[in-house]
Amino acid sequence: MYSIVLTGAVRRRLLGTAAASALAGSALAGCGLFDDEPAPPEPADPLQPLLDEAMALAASYDRAIAAQPGLASRLTPLGDDHRAHVAELTLVIGKTPPSVAPSASVGAPAETVASLREAEQAAQKSAVALCRAAVPERAALIGSIAACRATHAEALR
Amino acid sequence: MNPQLGAALAAEEAAIYAYGLIGVHLEGRGDVTEARTVEQAHRNRRDYLVSRLSQLRASAAPSPAGYQLPFEVTDRASALKLAIHVEDGVAQAWRPVLPVTTGNDRITALAAMTEAAVRATRWRRLAAVSPVTLPFPGRPTTP
Repeated sequence: MYSIVLTGAVRRRLLGTAAASALAGSALAGCGLFDDEPAPPEPADPLQPLLDEAMALAASYDRAIAAQPGLASRLTPLGDDHRAHVAELTLVIGKTPPSVAPSASVGAPAETVASLREAEQAAQKSAVALCRAAVPERAALIGSIAACRATHAEALR
Repeated sequence: MNPQLGAALAAEEAAIYAYGLIGVHLEGRGDVTEARTVEQAHRNRRDYLVSRLSQLRASAAPSPAGYQLPFEVTDRASALKLAIHVEDGVAQAWRPVLPVTTGNDRITALAAMTEAAVRATRWRRLAAVSPVTLPFPGRPTTP
């Protein structure tokens, strides 16, 4: 039978090795190799992707209306819903909203009713996934946003 | 979770009652077929809630024999108005289930709320009500 009991000397030696490698690690970290690394960013709020989608969708409706003014009466209320989501999510996340639309909207392809509908369906899916994982106090808001995106897909049929 | 599920059950029971009345006043094969499909969807949700509450060993209040309608239903326009009212109410009844559930139960509640919101949008379009959507379906609206 192999004994797992370590003698005092062996244990001291092992602990010493561990301490030495810990020291080596910190020396390495302090030697300037990693000084270029920025401070770790503050973890993003789990609602951030939902806010980004809402802003992108609102911008998509603006582009669609600019390209086809005849669709304005049909599309404007849908874009307004997304702007209401942006306002509410910004409030819940507790940060000041960016003053400009995401840069992705510049030079993005022309929007059609069909592409808007696809975007709504994709955004609904991601909202459902977020709702599933959400803390209780945010579940109702995320759920309403998911449901709203589904009604948009219906309105664009 | 039981009081919230009980409230959702009451809303689904009310919807089943209302669609019986709505169907009578709708015209055209499209409208009538839609109303029948929707009534069946509400029956399925009711059955789900009854079995879920029974699993949780919770008793649900018996559904009332009749309902007080929010307004008189006499023609297609008032029938569509009632359909919109009913679906908004069903969505509002399911929304409080979301914070008190997790996992698949929450996803089922969200699906029920979403389907009600989508039907409300469809009825608004048929009734030529604008806008056809709400920014936060299920959130109680201030009267």
